[in-house]
Amino acid sequence: MGFSENGKQYLLPEEALYLMECGNVQVFYRDLPLSIQDGYERFLSSATVSLQQYQVFGHLKRLGYVVHRFDPSSEPSSYARQLNLPQSRDRAGRQLKRKRSPSPTATCSYTEAPVEPTVEKMEEDKCSLEGDHVKKLAASPDIQTATTSGSDEGRSWWTTDDLGASDKELHHSPTSRSSRWDFSSIPFPDVGSSERHPSCLAPPEPSLLPGDLTVGVCDIASWRRKINLRMVKMSSKEQKREEDKRRRRWDVNKDREVRRCRNWAEYHELLARRQRKRKGRPAHLWNREVTPLHDPRQPIPTGELLDKISVIKSTHLLEGASRLKGSEEWRICFNVYQPDTVADFKKSNPGKPYSRMCVCSFDGPVPDLRVIKLLAFQSGDIPVVFAVVDHGDISFYTFKDFQLPTDVFP
Amino acid sequence: MEESPSMDDHQDSSLVVGVGLCDSAPLLWRLQDLKTVRSLGLVGALLGSLPRTPRQNQRLGRPLLLLPEEEKLLRDEEAAGALPGQNQDVGGVELQRRFEEDQQRSFEEQSVLALEDRKSALLRAMTSSHTGSESGAEAVDEALRRRLEALDHSFTFPQSAMAVQLSTARAGLSYCPEARAHLQANWPIREQNSPRSDARCQVFRDLRGRGFFLTSAGKFGGDFLVYPGDPLRFHAHFIAVCLMLDESVCLLDVLAVARLGSNVKKTVLLCSPTADGGVHYTSLQWSGMV
Repeated sequence: MGFSENGKQYLLPEEALYLMECGNVQVFYRDLPLSIQDGYERFLSSATVSLQQYQVFGHLKRLGYVVHRFDPSSEPSSYARQLNLPQSRDRAGRQLKRKRSPSPTATCSYTEAPVEPTVEKMEEDKCSLEGDHVKKLAASPDIQTATTSGSDEGRSWWTTDDLGASDKELHHSPTSRSSRWDFSSIPFPDVGSSERHPSCLAPPEPSLLPGDLTVGVCDIASWRRKINLRMVKMSSKEQKREEDKRRRRWDVNKDREVRRCRNWAEYHELLARRQRKRKGRPAHLWNREVTPLHDPRQPIPTGELLDKISVIKSTHLLEGASRLKGSEEWRICFNVYQPDTVADFKKSNPGKPYSRMCVCSFDGPVPDLRVIKLLAFQSGDIPVVFAVVDHGDISFYTFKDFQLPTDVFP
Repeated sequence: MEESPSMDDHQDSSLVVGVGLCDSAPLLWRLQDLKTVRSLGLVGALLGSLPRTPRQNQRLGRPLLLLPEEEKLLRDEEAAGALPGQNQDVGGVELQRRFEEDQQRSFEEQSVLALEDRKSALLRAMTSSHTGSESGAEAVDEALRRRLEALDHSFTFPQSAMAVQLSTARAGLSYCPEARAHLQANWPIREQNSPRSDARCQVFRDLRGRGFFLTSAGKFGGDFLVYPGDPLRFHAHFIAVCLMLDESVCLLDVLAVARLGSNVKKTVLLCSPTADGGVHYTSLQWSGMV
């Protein structure tokens, strides 16, 4: 409570009045002590702290919070806050990737026991192995051990092979480079077998792919349907039915639209039109000035498609808030800090407040979006609580930003 | 607690309540005023810290804030007047002298009490430490007497140890009916002349006349909470929402307030003042299918 200036201790009027009510402080004016009534009438006014604001102040102080006046000029602007953001997170991540420590457990906490000995062995044999492979292995053991816990088997044929190769190189140097692949341990998916297999192939190891190529899972369901077909022996009646169907469908001359074509050019056009329609580009939509937003022939994930065709863009609370000018009636009055037992609060370094209070009353208007945006912008990242005073009762309301969830699987 | 010169009960009707204005809000400060106002059936709201237990929010103390309708009622019945403001230095020097006299008197009383307190503490300490031994009883008495005598001579009660009292209401106010005319002349006219506030006043007056006690109901979405008796003894029965007879209300608002009422187990009353001075009441009840 209070502040010191010019070597003297001062109390703000609301603080003095609160301490008077608690019986801790006696205020003298013209050598006479002020009564509580004097305190109320002298200290509270619309110019300093109004009665409603004092009610909220007293309520919070009695609950144990530390309440200070809010000074909008002392808050850092959003730009300043942006500049002060620590970049430590990225740096730590990169360090994690490049660090070569002798014990993998020190850098990465997901190390698993079976992989450990191989990693250590790799480190020891660093000097004898070929340059590129070594760097890749040693550089990314941490990530790999972190992420590929399940594909240990997939790793093993390659890493052990390298060690095997290195050993061979060490000991039998003149021997020509034999095949380095252990085919018995490379899994070749048996797509054609009739037994149950998953209908997609796992993506290949990203380290084996060139450059920035990323390959997803491969869906082989459609191919599996085309293999293992056996010849169906149809009776003569069925054969004839099949032929009739084909004939009926494929009698080009009976097609009315074909008859309307007067030359080959028109016929080609008709064929092209039908092709386009089948493929999802009907002419009446695509041959005009205004075309659909998205060509159905282009593959696109559902989330992006929803974004592309959305008419209303979702916005967040602080959008456009910096342009708003302050208003006289609505302003943040107090910073509220949690009591000392929960957070450490020092007058010289209060830290971030728990919330900020704006005092209003039930007789007045409900804050509209403009006011909420303005106050949220002034407050920064700390929630603004509206303390609504109603003849002795105080209710606290706060507005939270909310994003509607999009129910889309990527 | 400040005790004002007592008035007899049969002079209740001539009691005038002194209302202080703080930030344009009507506040009652004196204990007798609070009792008077409660006897008239007006509840108000306490705002200040309770002197004995200041750091809690369950029970608050003086001042009492009046609803604008309550204030208007008091004024119309000529039962309230404005207290003299702070700028009126009613005998400043006189007050100072009186204050110093009071302080001196209090100091003397307290030093006597403090001495007695020390003596009794000494007595307790001496006798409790020697309860076991009976042979030294006489020696104990002798030592005790000597100690008490020394205390009488050498005891000093420092000024800084004195307990001071902070008065809630302003000191130096006389409470007599002659001041009534003077007080009323000073009453600032703070009427809100809107049809809505007139409607509220009329509804308030009518319900008060029927014996109900009313408090503010902002957090229940209405205008008043209606109690069948003193709020300390009953729960509220109704939420009163004041509307003009010809005012059109959005159906969603009616549904919202009906829902709210059923959730908090109170009946919603739609109150509209009629032209002849009465009030028309409609209650909303959320019933099932039939």
